[in-house]
Amino acid sequence: MSAPVAHALELRGLSKRYGSFIAVDAVSLRVDRGQFLTLLGPSGSGKTTILMAIAGFVAPSEGAVLLDGADITGLSPERRDFGMVFQGYALFPHMTVAENVAFPLRVRGLSRADRDARVRGALDLVQLAAFAGRRPSQLSGGQQQRVALARALVFDPALLLLDEPLSALDKKLRAELQDELKALHRRVGRTFVNVTHDQEEALSLSDQVAILNHGRLVQMGAPEALYERPRTRFVADFLGKSNFLQGTVREVGATGMALQAGATRLVQAGAAHPAPGRPALLSLRPEKIGLLAGAETAENEVAGTIASWAYLGAGYSLSVRTADLGEIRVALPAWRAPIAPREGLPVRLGWAADAAVPVLEDADAA
Amino acid sequence: MNGGYPAGPLARSIAWATVLYLLLPITIVIPVSVTDQRYLSLPEHGISFRHYANLLGSESWLASIQQSFWIALGSTLIAVTAGTLCAIGCWRIGRRSTELVRALMLLPLIIPAIVYAIGLYRWFGTLDLLDRFLGVTLAHGVTGIPYVVITVSTALAAFDPRLEQAARGMGASLGQTLRWVILPRIAPGIASGAIFAFIHSWDELVLVLFIASRNVFTLPRKIWDGINENLDPSMAAVAVLLIVFTVALLALDGALRARRQ
Ligand SMILES: Nc1ncnc2c1ncn2[C@@H]1O[C@H](COP(=O)(O)OP(=O)(O)OP(=O)(O)O)[C@@H](O)[C@H]1O
Ligand SMILES: [Mg+2]
Repeated sequence: MSAPVAHALELRGLSKRYGSFIAVDAVSLRVDRGQFLTLLGPSGSGKTTILMAIAGFVAPSEGAVLLDGADITGLSPERRDFGMVFQGYALFPHMTVAENVAFPLRVRGLSRADRDARVRGALDLVQLAAFAGRRPSQLSGGQQQRVALARALVFDPALLLLDEPLSALDKKLRAELQDELKALHRRVGRTFVNVTHDQEEALSLSDQVAILNHGRLVQMGAPEALYERPRTRFVADFLGKSNFLQGTVREVGATGMALQAGATRLVQAGAAHPAPGRPALLSLRPEKIGLLAGAETAENEVAGTIASWAYLGAGYSLSVRTADLGEIRVALPAWRAPIAPREGLPVRLGWAADAAVPVLEDADAA
Repeated sequence: MNGGYPAGPLARSIAWATVLYLLLPITIVIPVSVTDQRYLSLPEHGISFRHYANLLGSESWLASIQQSFWIALGSTLIAVTAGTLCAIGCWRIGRRSTELVRALMLLPLIIPAIVYAIGLYRWFGTLDLLDRFLGVTLAHGVTGIPYVVITVSTALAAFDPRLEQAARGMGASLGQTLRWVILPRIAPGIASGAIFAFIHSWDELVLVLFIASRNVFTLPRKIWDGINENLDPSMAAVAVLLIVFTVALLALDGALRARRQ
């Protein structure tokens, strides 16, 4: 696994139609060499279809797949030389772990000695050397997943495609393997394209995340950028939790604007804004809201009562009913919490002018 | 199964009656085959194995057994090759139209053997295949195809298509995928099909009566003639051997299926 040659991948206006149904709609994106890209979206948003088009198993209706600038749209899958981990792993049940991992090498006509050495190396990489003689059916889900990874990596592919590689695992194992996958990516230095509908996985693993909905690319960027600056309601809602505050623009300044929501006045920082009189939508993360004590003030304040609450270990999740902004979800750290939550308790919420971000309604973003 | 309703006395009696009805005619040949008489009958004074000795010492019986065996083997080869390729082809193409192809391949099972035999008789006459080893092997091979198509299609239905994609994604050509991934997975289905195709040829009589006369004289044909011409208990001995052989093949099939689990 020396001499890392990673590939840059580009999709240009990729579309896939099944009859009149559009599974993938003009998706264009670029992954640089050695990057970890995650395709994230709800079920049916076209993630697998895009991955299969990259792998060559699905012929695009329109658009092109480019590898290092060369068009490979018409290349058959067996000639693309990509490593692939399928949803559910697709290990060969009639072969042992070692035979599974050796398969891509056997296909390439490597000698037995070469094969054995590389299989051993790949199994060491995923810490499964002791299981070489077992059949896939004798392994746990996490071990099978690692065999699938070893098999995808053993022939040193320049691009690794992963379709929900961790979805079949329990939460703890998934977290462990996420770390392993990330470390692996760093060690082998290849380009990874991962598919998931688990937003935490997407945030923790990726250099870049592409968010898909109804076959369209809604927004793409680094995890922090997507979380902090979602472009649409869908992105804000899908990536983490968010409150949505609806108001009318009252004043617009160079550094922000003022909104009116019923009797509540909100100030919002930022440069680009809709014109006064227009409706505006803000996304406000629950962890950016504080409880105001006594005479404490904030740039934005709203009073309400606790409608319901839940204890989550690290914190409380409060749902606060307000007159003008509906129910607002607040994340409150449990350690030294300023209040003991109970239903009906009156509270004052406060947040900074730069805590929320203006987002577009999904219909306006299209 | 646990948790099911226990069978009532009526259901039990019917079940056992059915079993007896199916098995008695077969088992009757066993005592007959060890009769001490010189004609087809039950033993009177004691049992004797001389009919078995007779059989194994008889040139013509052994020749028939041998001929039947080679024909069955040859036709199994034809049926397995054609049937497996057809099933895999239909499975890979996966379109509606392949249903029609599959249905066509099952025709030899559906059409009465005697109708088929009349057709073959006419054709084989012009092709000069009548009463020849090759002709019978071909006829049995073609009529054995449905068994293979059915068992291999069943095996393929259980085959995870992602395994094929995985193989191709790792760079395997179609041939390599077939050899290393698909065939090993459906081998038990092919073996089952082969066993059924073999048994089909092994005890086939109607076609043989039409398209063979003197040169090709298979075992069922010989038994048929024997029954019509003399009542030699060797026939019962042959029948017992046939039963033992068939049961052994079916047991082999069962063992192969069990291994697949
Ligand atoms: N062969 C096909 N024929 C018709 N429609 C298809 C086909 N394959 C996929 N689709 C449709 O295309 C859409 C996108 O499917 P895709 O498998 O890419 O979704 P996904 O994002 O991977 O979803 P999931 O998270 O459930 O795996 C779905 O609505 C699906 O029904
Ligand atoms: Mg999918």
